[in-house]
Order: sequence, then structure tokens, then C-alpha cells
Amino acid sequence: MAEQVYSAIDQDIFATVTEQIEQDLVIRESIKEVLKNLDKQLKQISATLSRVHSVPPSEVPNLITKTQPIFEAAKSDLHELVEKTKPYPYYKYNGMWQREMQNLIFLILFETWLSRSYLPTTVPVNALATIEEVGARLSIPINLKTEDAFHLTIEEYLHAIISLVEELTRLMTNAVTQRDFKRPMLISTFVKDIHSAFQVLNLKNDGLRRRGDGLKYHVKRAEDIGYDLIVRNLVDMGVEEKAEEKAEEKAEEKAEEKAEEKAEDKMQE
Amino acid sequence: MSERRNNKRPRHDNRRDEKPEKSAADSAAQDVGLLASKNPYMPMFLNFRAELDEHHDRRERVIKASRDVTAASKKMIFSLQRCRQLSAPLPPSVLSEVTNLHTIIQTQLLTISHDLSSGNTFRYRQITGGLQELIEALCFRHYLETGSLLTYTAAQKMIPEGIELTISDYVPGVFDFVGEVMRFAITMVALGGGEVEKVLKDLRGIRQGLEEFEEPGYKWYVGARDADKKIAVMRECVEKVEKAVAGKIIRGAEMPEGWVPDLTEVVEGGEGSIRGGTGGV
Repeated sequence: MAEQVYSAIDQDIFATVTEQIEQDLVIRESIKEVLKNLDKQLKQISATLSRVHSVPPSEVPNLITKTQPIFEAAKSDLHELVEKTKPYPYYKYNGMWQREMQNLIFLILFETWLSRSYLPTTVPVNALATIEEVGARLSIPINLKTEDAFHLTIEEYLHAIISLVEELTRLMTNAVTQRDFKRPMLISTFVKDIHSAFQVLNLKNDGLRRRGDGLKYHVKRAEDIGYDLIVRNLVDMGVEEKAEEKAEEKAEEKAEEKAEEKAEDKMQE
Repeated sequence: MSERRNNKRPRHDNRRDEKPEKSAADSAAQDVGLLASKNPYMPMFLNFRAELDEHHDRRERVIKASRDVTAASKKMIFSLQRCRQLSAPLPPSVLSEVTNLHTIIQTQLLTISHDLSSGNTFRYRQITGGLQELIEALCFRHYLETGSLLTYTAAQKMIPEGIELTISDYVPGVFDFVGEVMRFAITMVALGGGEVEKVLKDLRGIRQGLEEFEEPGYKWYVGARDADKKIAVMRECVEKVEKAVAGKIIRGAEMPEGWVPDLTEVVEGGEGSIRGGTGGV
């Protein structure tokens, strides 16, 4: 082989690629930094709000007030993230903060639900903060389709709703322990409404589908507790919330019938 | 919910099953029913349904295109494996096949470029399979024609506008490309070709470059799940060529002119007859 055998593979080709990877890693690292701070705030809010499971209903408004400054801090962390990721396509890094984002939305939904159903001043029918309300509260756009910028996705919001249902089902049991029998009935209606609303979605085989499928167990639990309370006359059927009356009529009629039957049985005995 | 169930029942009574999809009027009637229900969240969820359906449709289209691009790229690689010469223009028959396939791929990619526009490339990463296979084919063609490695920047320019070729499309493609060069080299040895030592040098050069990606932080760009396997297979490929070349030199010396080393196993792979998957052994 007279002619020299040389490699035509330019090592710079690889250097160019690794250089870009390095840049990417730096961005990821800085996103992680912000997320760490955000996560700290979220844990604090979560710890405060979860005391709702153990304090009497009259204490709940206080808890909500306590979380307000932390929500503000979380919001400013979120906007730091928005600024940091502005130069890049939204979907390039969004996988990194989906968990935190879902958690943040959940906490907003939970806080809203609590304040709407515990504060004596307001009695709205919809205890669920809409996706628009959540977006407005965080000052970020929702469901952007044509523009490539930071936004709140429908999937994140739906995941957060499922978390809310999970949390409220737990609250149902704990409210009973507090001798608070009004809350379980509110929650029961809410869980059923959310469950039937989820039924209209055509979910593909993904995480949302799996979690959405679990909703029916929460409905079952809610119905069981509601039934137990009604059967034992622990909820006063006369002084019901308008919201319940609206959606619960049918279910309650049935339960009432059963209750009456039982009462009659007892009398006969 | 109950409306939906009621809707279905009469349909099942009809002996001739109509299309499973609801007609537009049907589902509109159903939506009106759902909206009239007392559930306060129904309107918002119906809106979500429309959005999610749109999203799933886009996703499906991307997945389909990715499969088609993969299939066409594989065909392109088969054609290219018929070449026997390095750093030379492709033979006319191969060239026309490859050109046709490339046009098909470009068209496929163009049909989904809208779905992948405005940052959505990263939303529907399902396209990565197709792009990786395409890079493998393009690298191989480039190598056959020029004897050098297709750069990331050059590769980006070969993808239709609106679709972003990311590092994690390019790097795995290059890894798989090593397998193609291996097959090409083994065939060359089997047929007594002369330029195999140059190919081996190139393979070593590529190996040296690709080994950089073994760093823990870089592995993710080779493959989210199968980085280790890809790296191992790449090394094996290079070693196979090393052995083939050595075998040819050792035993070839005592063999008469025109002797071919016994490499049936690998050679079969090289002919592409029993080749499955990407970057197989």
C-alpha cells in the first residue's frame, strides 16, 4: 500500500456535538436550580394546607391566609423559570418541570376549593378553579397552540384535578372525624361531577388515562361515606347547600328511601 | 355518561353494525345532552376533549410518518450496501433508487412539518425514530461518496425546514451508521477488496469520537434507554472489522490468489439478508 492510509474522520465533528451537549447541560442545570426553590415553596404550602385534615373547620380560613405569602413566593419562582426558558422552545425542556407544575396547580385547586367551601362569605356552586382562573392566578397563558411560549397545559391541569379528588376523598373521612358532616356531602357531589366529566374525554393509553381510571374508586368511597351518614341521619336533609340539592337529588332520594326502609324495619321490630 | 350509554344501546340492536364512530349529528346531540346536565364542569371538559383529540391526532400522524421514514431509510441502506467502491459516485442504479427514496422521505416529512412547527418538534418526539434511521442512511451515503463523516450541521440542512434535527436524533444515527460501515467492510474483505484498511482506520476514528458519549452526562443523547447497548454494539462492529482484516492478512498470505476468508456468518449479515432491527450485530 504505497499511498498513505489515513482516516478521513475529522474529530472536530464530535467536538462540535459535545460542545452543544455541554450548553444543553448548563441550561438543564440552571432549570433544576429554580425548580429546587419552587419545590421548597410547594412543600411548605402542602404542609400547611394538609393540616386541614386535623383542625376544626373554623380554623381552615386561617390556614388559607397563612399560605398566601408562600403562594406569592412560588409564583415568583415560577416566573424566574419562565424567564430562564424563554429563549428555548417550550416543549424542549417542559418535561423537567411537569411534576412541579402539576403540584403547583393542584395546590391552587385545593386552596381554592377550601376557601370556596369553608369561608362563610361566598357560596358559589363551582368549587373548582377553572383552568383560566389558575392561569390568571399564576399570570401565565394557558393551552397555547400557535405561539411557542411558556404556558399551562391541559394535561397538567387534568392531572392536578385528579390529585384534588384524591386529597378531598381523604378529607371526607377526616371531616367525619371532626364531626363536620356538611363537608363530606359537598365533596361527594364534587367527586361525582368530576368523574362524569372525565368520562367525556377520549384518553389515550397514558399516565392521565391510568390515573383517570382510578377516579371510580374515589366515587365509590365518596358514595359509601355519604350513604353511611345519611342512613344514620347524621346529615340534616333540610338544611342542605343549594349546590348539593342540584346534583344530588337523585342519589339522595334513593338513599332516603333506604333510610326510611331501615327506620320502618326498626319500628316493626 | 348515562346519555352516552343510552345512545349506544339502540345501535347495538341494529343488526348491521354501523361505523363505530359517532356521526357528527349524533355526537352533537350527545354534547347538547351533556351540556344540559347539571354538571357544572361539563362545558370545560367538552372543550378539553376537543383539544386533546386534536393533540392525539397530531401525535398519530407523527408516529405514522416516523414509521414510513424509517421504512424508506432502511430501503435506502439496503440499496447503498450494494455499492462496492469507496469515495466514488454511486452507481447509477443505486443512485436512482436512493434518490427516489429520499424524495419519498422528504414528502413524508413535509406532510407533518405543520404538526411539528412552532416548537412542537419537541412535543412530538415520536419522530425521532424516523430521523435516526434517516441519519444512518444519509451518513452511509455521504461516507460512500466522500469517505468522510457527515457533520451535524450538514445533516440538519438535509432535513426539511420546520423540522428540527436534534443532537439526540443525530448521535444515535451515527452509532447505527457504524454497523453499516462494518457490513460494507466485511463484504469488501470477502471479495478481496483493497480499501478495507482505510475503512478500518475510519472506523477507529469514528469509534474514538463516539466513545466520548460514554460520559454519564452524555449518554442520554445516545439513547434514553439503550445507550449502553448502542455503545457496546458499536465497539463490537469495529472489532469485527479488525479481526476480518487481520484474518485476511495472516491467512491470506499462505492462500492462493483469490482466496476468501471464511466469514459466512458476518458476511450474511453484510449482505443484509438476515438483517433485522437497527444497528444489529
